[in-house]
Amino acid sequence: MEQPSRGNRISRRSWLLAGLATPLFSVRAAEPLEVKYDGDNLHLSAPTLHFLIGKPLERLKDGAPVAYVAQVTLFGDDHVTPIKRGQGRFVVSFALWEEKFFVTQLGTQAVPSRSVEGLTAAAAEVWCLDSLAVSTVGLEPNAYYWLRFELRTADQKELANLTEQPVVSFRRIVEFFSQRPKAGEPRWEPLERRLRLSDLPRMAGRGRNG
Amino acid sequence: MKYALLACLISGGMLFAGSLFGGTQDSDLNVNKRYTVDTVIVAGKGWRTDLTDQSDKISAGLRRELAALIGLKLNTGVLDDLAARLKKEFSAREVSHHLLRSDTPQHVRVEFEVRPSRGNMDATVTKFLYSSKEGWSGAGAVGFTIHQNSLLFGLASDGDSLMERNAGISARYETKSLGTDRVNLKFQFESYHELWNRNTLDAIEAHPGLTSDAYRSRQNFQPTATITLAKPLTLEVGASFERLENQYPAAHNDAANALVTTLRYHRRLDQAGMDQADSQQDIDAGYTLRAATRMFGSDFVYVSHFWGLHYRLTHGKHQFLDDVSGGVISGRAPLFDRFVAGNSYYLRGWNKYDLDPMGGNRLVHNSVEYRYGPFQAFYDTGAIWDSGQPVSQKHSVGVGIKESIFSLAIAFPIRAGHVEPILMMGMIY
Repeated sequence: MEQPSRGNRISRRSWLLAGLATPLFSVRAAEPLEVKYDGDNLHLSAPTLHFLIGKPLERLKDGAPVAYVAQVTLFGDDHVTPIKRGQGRFVVSFALWEEKFFVTQLGTQAVPSRSVEGLTAAAAEVWCLDSLAVSTVGLEPNAYYWLRFELRTADQKELANLTEQPVVSFRRIVEFFSQRPKAGEPRWEPLERRLRLSDLPRMAGRGRNG
Repeated sequence: MKYALLACLISGGMLFAGSLFGGTQDSDLNVNKRYTVDTVIVAGKGWRTDLTDQSDKISAGLRRELAALIGLKLNTGVLDDLAARLKKEFSAREVSHHLLRSDTPQHVRVEFEVRPSRGNMDATVTKFLYSSKEGWSGAGAVGFTIHQNSLLFGLASDGDSLMERNAGISARYETKSLGTDRVNLKFQFESYHELWNRNTLDAIEAHPGLTSDAYRSRQNFQPTATITLAKPLTLEVGASFERLENQYPAAHNDAANALVTTLRYHRRLDQAGMDQADSQQDIDAGYTLRAATRMFGSDFVYVSHFWGLHYRLTHGKHQFLDDVSGGVISGRAPLFDRFVAGNSYYLRGWNKYDLDPMGGNRLVHNSVEYRYGPFQAFYDTGAIWDSGQPVSQKHSVGVGIKESIFSLAIAFPIRAGHVEPILMMGMIY
């Protein structure tokens, strides 16, 4: 006897699996690296990345400053050819009495250092990432690119090595990120995403083309 | 012109590179620089000091610099520098510093934590000396330290300290892990072969019964405990089991077993002088008693008392040192335990075999020394004799160069007739 065909009906089991999988898809949907475009620059945020934690936070709460070096690289769609690079060197300290963070972004020949204080840990992290803008001059709006964000702590010597040139050397920064972190130092995996300028959410009121 | 331009470019580049740091010094980037330091603590394994006590744990100069942080705004660059110096001074694995809120608002407490090295090995030369009369003397040791235990193996060939030239080996085990830092135990073993000067052998033959025979070899086992009575006063108590192997007139062994006690006091005083130059005074006083009795199965029965007072005043590059020593032995002490003068410590410049070829059982000595930087000049005076004999005071003067433990000196005995100086060079502790 021929079994009745189920045709295109969706079984109860499929509905159950789909129901269970839905929250997982929503987690996957949250990009580790969020990018906004103001018409001139790309602005990053990484809601799942926290770097004022663990051993660096212990050192901060012991009253010592902690230096971080961050690098943003924009590659072509081949994921190999770097097109743009941006970097930031941040020194964070924690005010013992006020229990707030103080962050300085070290300057370069062209840009002076700037500081902000009285921040919570989350606000300090956001401030650092927000300071890492990548210029979009010369980029095709409809072409695909890969954006990579890397972050590491640096000791005083490493920071000095990176800044001993009048102009910050990208070669040194790349070498720095290719080194293994010292024992006990946290390691954050690079965050990456594929993007197209025309797909990015626009930041209102910013940029020449915004 | 080309080179001048190049020099300008290089110096300009360096200045610019410097200016990058000039504005971004570690201390400038630390928000805690706004707080005032009100307490400094240094802590290690089982000890802790807030610098108010006169503990010997930290050298006077470093203690002064640590204490100078109090009352000033925080500077983490200075803390890093002091941590590096503490690490060096304690041979520590790591010295870290951290800040804590103090009881007073806007004030902080700085705590340095000294983490001792897990274990290390080091080789040291404890004596290396050339004397134009006695030739070369040298001693060295290799030490292994694991936590609170240390093991030391040494080699020596010393023709300077005693009447004999002794060559041999030594081993020492020391432990401080007795649950208190007030007591440590030490076990020492030594084995030496002896070489004798003709003058000494002739003197022994001429005065039989005054001391031991010229033994061929000597072994010593010496367990001791050092107890810190009240810092900086320490007491060392132990026993020495010494065996002397004689060859003449027939092969036999003698024992010289003794109770050994040393009381030692060491104090360092610092003060700022009128001209703000720092002065430092060191006082080191000690008394040693060795009592050999039949109770310990000793073939020699004697009691030896020895005391010494060492004073040093340092003011800038100037140093003044005075060293007073004296000793009395009652009974019949073996040759190794008799006093010796005319070596690199007492009556420098004299030949020890001319003064007393068998050593003496009485010693009085004073040495005055002045040093300016590496240059030294000294005057030694004293006497060595046996009880019942007339006392003949001797004098000597000398000049030399001394940098740390390295020394080159020429010493002249002061006596009528010809002058026969002795040259001494090497590492003298």
